[in-house]
Amino acid sequence: MMSLAHFLMKFRERIRARYEEYLVITIETLASAIIGFSIGALVLYILGFNPAKIYFILFSKGLSNPNYLLSKSTPIMLTGLAFAIPMLAGVFNIGGEGQLYIGALISLIVVTSTHNPALGILAGMVAGAALGTFKAVLKVYRGVNEVIAAIMLNWVMYFLILYLLTEKLYNPQIPHESIPVPEDARLGKIPTPIGDIRLIFFIAVIASLIIYYILYYTNIGYMLRVAGLSPKTAKYAGFNPNLAIIYSMALGGAMAGLGGSLLLIGYVYSIDTTMSTLFGLGFTGIGVALLGRNNPIGIIFSAIFFSMLIIGGEMIELLAGAPPELADVLTGVIVIALALPYMYRMLISYMRIRRLIKK
Amino acid sequence: MSEEKRRAVEMLNISKIYPDGVVALRDVNLTVYEGEIHGLLGENGAGKTTLMRILYGEIKPTKGKIRLFGRKVSFHGPWDAIRHGIGMVYQHFTLVPTFTVLENLHLSFTSVEKKMSESMIRRNAEKLMKEIGFEVPLDAIVEDLPIGVQQRAEILKILLRKAKILILDEPTSVLTPIETRELFKTLKKLKEKGITIIFITHKLREVKEITDRVTVLRKGRLVGTVETANVSEIDLARMMVGREVFLKISKKPAKVGRKVLETVNLWVKDDRGLDAVRGVSLDLYEGEILGIAGVQGNGQKELVEAIAGIRPIIKGRIIVDNVDVTNKSTVERYRLGLAYVPDSRLVGLVFDMSLVENTTLTNLHKVLTKTKRILWDKASEIAVKVVKELDIIAPSLGAPVKYLSGGNQQKVMVGREIVREPKIFIVAEPTHGLDVGATEFIRKTLISLRDKDKAILLVSTDLDEIMQLSDRIAVMYEGKIVAIGKAEEFSVERLGLLMGGVKA
Repeated sequence: MMSLAHFLMKFRERIRARYEEYLVITIETLASAIIGFSIGALVLYILGFNPAKIYFILFSKGLSNPNYLLSKSTPIMLTGLAFAIPMLAGVFNIGGEGQLYIGALISLIVVTSTHNPALGILAGMVAGAALGTFKAVLKVYRGVNEVIAAIMLNWVMYFLILYLLTEKLYNPQIPHESIPVPEDARLGKIPTPIGDIRLIFFIAVIASLIIYYILYYTNIGYMLRVAGLSPKTAKYAGFNPNLAIIYSMALGGAMAGLGGSLLLIGYVYSIDTTMSTLFGLGFTGIGVALLGRNNPIGIIFSAIFFSMLIIGGEMIELLAGAPPELADVLTGVIVIALALPYMYRMLISYMRIRRLIKK
Repeated sequence: MSEEKRRAVEMLNISKIYPDGVVALRDVNLTVYEGEIHGLLGENGAGKTTLMRILYGEIKPTKGKIRLFGRKVSFHGPWDAIRHGIGMVYQHFTLVPTFTVLENLHLSFTSVEKKMSESMIRRNAEKLMKEIGFEVPLDAIVEDLPIGVQQRAEILKILLRKAKILILDEPTSVLTPIETRELFKTLKKLKEKGITIIFITHKLREVKEITDRVTVLRKGRLVGTVETANVSEIDLARMMVGREVFLKISKKPAKVGRKVLETVNLWVKDDRGLDAVRGVSLDLYEGEILGIAGVQGNGQKELVEAIAGIRPIIKGRIIVDNVDVTNKSTVERYRLGLAYVPDSRLVGLVFDMSLVENTTLTNLHKVLTKTKRILWDKASEIAVKVVKELDIIAPSLGAPVKYLSGGNQQKVMVGREIVREPKIFIVAEPTHGLDVGATEFIRKTLISLRDKDKAILLVSTDLDEIMQLSDRIAVMYEGKIVAIGKAEEFSVERLGLLMGGVKA
């Protein structure tokens, strides 16, 4: 308990020291969200809907069921980390999608044969990490562009799983589904003041905190961030920038793999043969990471926010007949609006220059 | 020069302020007459190059007017300037290294006159070369040519486009004395042909030798424009640095101790895969400063990077304090008591990280626990020590180092090594781009380190710095040590000759 109190104190000190910076980030993020929702309102108005009504549905339904909201946020929180960690090391990991697939697949195989959820999760993480590392090794030692490798491997993983689901791992009773995770190996819910919440959400939050600790409080995280900002400096300080790329992709891949296996073992328990349970979660993670500014703590909140948009977006269609793509439009506009802080800053400095000239 | 001469260039009240608030130029006026060689003199960072890049249309001035031959102009980019007859030769040439000279000339025409064929260009180029009396092998691959000839190709490229105004940005910084002499001959010929030349430099001797008039800038402001014949080098120096004497640093005689660094027949390749260091054997002793002089690009950078373990070596051995470190990593070498301060702050610092994170770079092992956790409290203590010891002015310990001035950034790089208390300092261009005050501080710091029995290997292209600080001097030319000895054995003239590849 002592050390926890100490840690909290340190955390408060840190916030106080960088108070201004955090304040600016918060204001900028809020401003971006407001701009995004305004443009969304404009789109709705043009399409002939009442923006106020639609937004009411979006928020109220999106936030109505905490368990649903947080369960949905779990995989995208982890694919968000899968994008953010390599980004900090200067690598562009858009392979979260494929890493999530392989994580889900491997943990399905392991958990059905061992009935041990912990082992299944671990196997999923290792599988995701292995796929991430593979891309990093291709990049470092063979000069293969990580984006191209990721795009191709995403599809390789997609069709590999599709094949295995339809040919080998299908459920004899329900042929359009995979064999289910055995009952005794499923992760359940835990009671909280806001109702029963799935365990997987807490695992994802703890994973985010651990990643935060690794990035900002250990030598590996430090080396990774130095290499990401300035590879030349990393080399000068005696760190190997290539190693940073490999570590970051391994860590990122492990997070996406964890996302896939948590989703399976703790939430959906089986994968349908159209893969609709998994598809797109990796790519959504990119938006989550951008909104969370590649900060693991920020990603926890931005994942919940995205989850709300996704759930609310589904309800819009049901209750108001608005296109479900509206949720995608909103997220897109908000992510673009996030680039606006650079514009605010430019405007501010422009005004400062005008003042200097007048002097 | 009389007033009835035509004004080729008039720049009026030019100011340039960058978005981050840095004032590069403030209310600078420049008038250049047709057919003169006009010097633009100033220290590093005085704004010479910025002013010329504005004239060349590459940077837009925040305020001010430009007139060419009496007509007001405003450029949207260099292509506009080229159409108005302005050409600029940069310090780093803009030739495609793997193309022949002729292909490069052809390339430069594609933006102005698409119809020019290669044979037409060849004819024009040959005619022009005969007129000016210099020679460039048109069919040679650019990267195979010596720097001096590449520069001539660059000038030829500009003249072929019928440029009337030629801007040269520190053209002699990459040249040997012999190449410099040839360049000056060429420039005088061009002047006779009525071409206006603006010559950026910080070398006083060159100003006296070649220019008709000279404009002096200091810290972004105009100091004045004078006729070269009417001023002495000392006058110019005073205008340039704002005070009369160049800094003289007093130092005690060196108390040389034992040998702490040795390289044996070291061979190192540069980034292009060419031999940059060819068999260098050096000894460095406690309590001395060994200065390595040489024109930029003669293997000094590759040599120090190899010693620090950042660049692989091809052949040879490196011994630090009686330990053979040839196959040891950079971190191991740093731990054995080696410190390296690189020539570029872009290499030594992470600009977006805080002062604490930057001082941690080479002190990481001191702030790690056994479980590889970073103790940021301890790291902050080290940063505070660096700030105190070197009088660093910073907004806060948590602010990114990009908000520090160049001098303070340099102090961070030097300071974080000093607190490690290494035995050997390898310092490359420690005062490059710094103002006079910061330069003096850094140099005095180096002397005091020497007096504390540290061994210092100083690499510098600044001869004043080498002469001021070194106890011994070695001259590098084309990857070899061409001369080494006590500082007293070298005069500026002798150093100049040696750096230019002349035995002296």
